[in-house]
Formats: sequence, C-alpha cells, structure tokens
Amino acid sequence: MTEIEELEAKWHVQLRKGTLELVVLAALQGRTLYGLELLGLLNQFETTKITEGTLYPLLDRLKKEGSITAQWVQEGDTRPRKYYSLTPAGTKKLSVLSAHWRKSVPDIEYLLAHPGKDAEKFKE
Amino acid sequence: MSDRERINTYLQTLNRYLSRLPAEDANEVIREIESHIYDAIDLAEAKGEKLEVSELLKGFGPPRTLAEKYTNHMLDGTPPPSGFSAITSIKHKVTKGMYWSTLLLGYGSGFALILLAFMKLLSPETVGIWTSPGGESVIVGTLDAPAEQGDDLLGLWLVPTALILGSLITRFTYSLLRILKRIAG
Repeated sequence: MTEIEELEAKWHVQLRKGTLELVVLAALQGRTLYGLELLGLLNQFETTKITEGTLYPLLDRLKKEGSITAQWVQEGDTRPRKYYSLTPAGTKKLSVLSAHWRKSVPDIEYLLAHPGKDAEKFKE
Repeated sequence: MSDRERINTYLQTLNRYLSRLPAEDANEVIREIESHIYDAIDLAEAKGEKLEVSELLKGFGPPRTLAEKYTNHMLDGTPPPSGFSAITSIKHKVTKGMYWSTLLLGYGSGFALILLAFMKLLSPETVGIWTSPGGESVIVGTLDAPAEQGDDLLGLWLVPTALILGSLITRFTYSLLRILKRIAG
C-alpha cells in the first residue's frame, strides 16, 4: 500500500465511523431490507462499504434505541430472514442527521473553494 | 474441515461469547448470522460462483470481537472487575458456610480487639499483652494477677494498636463479605 493509499484508507475509516448511522438509516429510508440486502446495497458504493461484523451489531444497537424495527419473515420455503425498517423515531433521527450533514457539506466545500489570506472576508 | 463444520464452529464459539446476553437475544443474533451465511452461499451459487466461507467469516471478524460489540452496551457504567470470568467459574463453589465462617471469624476478632482497647482504658492494670515469665509465650487478655506475669509489652500503646488493628480487620471482613455475597448470590 502506498503512502497515499494508506492515508486514504485511514480517512475512509474515520469518516465512515462518523457517518455510519446516517448511512444505515438512509439506506432503510422507505425500504424494508434484510441484513444481506442492506450490506449488498452499501457495498455498491465506494465510501459506504462495510463489513458484516460492523453492520449487524450496529443494527442491533439501532433496534435497541428504537430507531429501527426488525421482523422475521419467511416467504415460501426460503430461509427465514430478519427484515429491518425505520420507526417514526428513526425517521426523525435521520432527518436531524441528514440536515446536519447537508449543512456540513457546503461549509467544507466553501472552505475548500476559498483559499487565501483573507479570513475576514469569509463570512459574507 | 468442511464449510458446514467451519460455520458451526464459528457459531458455537460466538454463542459462548454471547453468554452474557439473555438467551433469547443470543439466539436471535446466532439465527440471523446463520441465515446470512447460508443466504450468501446460496446467492453465490445462484450466480455460479463458489463462496469462500473463511473469507465470509473474516467479514464478521473473530467471534469474540463480534460478541463484544453486542455485549458492550451491557457493561456501560458498570465495568466488571478484572478477573470477572475467573470469579464466575468459582462462583458455585462458594458455599454459605464460607460466608458465615468469614463473618464470625472476621467480625469476632475485629470486635474483640476493639473491645480489648476499651478494656485496657477501663482497667489498665489487668488488661494487656504480657510475655510469660519464661519468655516463651505471649498472653493476650485479662489476668487476675498480672504481677505474676512478665512485662506488659505495649502498655497503653495497646489502646491505639488494638483499635487500629480491630478496625482494619472489621473493615476487611466487611469488604470480603460483600465480595462473597456477590459471588454466591
């Protein structure tokens, strides 16, 4: 692993740690998914990839705090699967987290787009 | 080891580390992970691929680490004392008899020493620690005729010494009993 790749991997871990709850809640928005589906969905994107060992305990915690509910469903002769969906409390939490996220992105973008000496002029 | 054996071993180990959870919760965790593993295998098969089970299990991480992520919330605010698991394993060997004998012996000797200190204050002449005339043994307690004995070893120093020693033993007994009660309870 080159130095740059290592730096990126570290940043990925750090950023994901902070955004994981938001990501999982967002992935369950308007959907009911079981663990494997949810994992497959998150692994489609480069920055939201996670492991089974991270996802399942997180789902357990979100369920305990009441943000999501779980239900075992068996269709036909398939294996029973545990499906997750957002509760009203989870939907509310998602809206708080996502509002903050959406505020944070343009703030950081603004800083990135405005290098230079004048800190004063920053706040227009 | 076949895939099925490897999966079973993993789940059994995980189950053991989840023992701190209520049985119902632990079962639920195991059931879900088992369902995930076999679903993933089926899914790969449907695509005509062969899923590497050891790779999949690596995604879940070592059973112990995974179990800790489920049980950590139970320890919030009340971390177990170090050596917790060792205590649990001897738990059933601690009998009520041990509790009561500790109580009697500990409090008995603690209070006796404190009592001795007060008695020395009330009656300095007849209470004390003496060497016997031959110097071969030590007598602790009250005597009718202390003059026949050897030297009073501590004199009035017996009062603070016995008080401190008695309090320490009492305090120690109290802590010990609390631990015993928790283990046996």
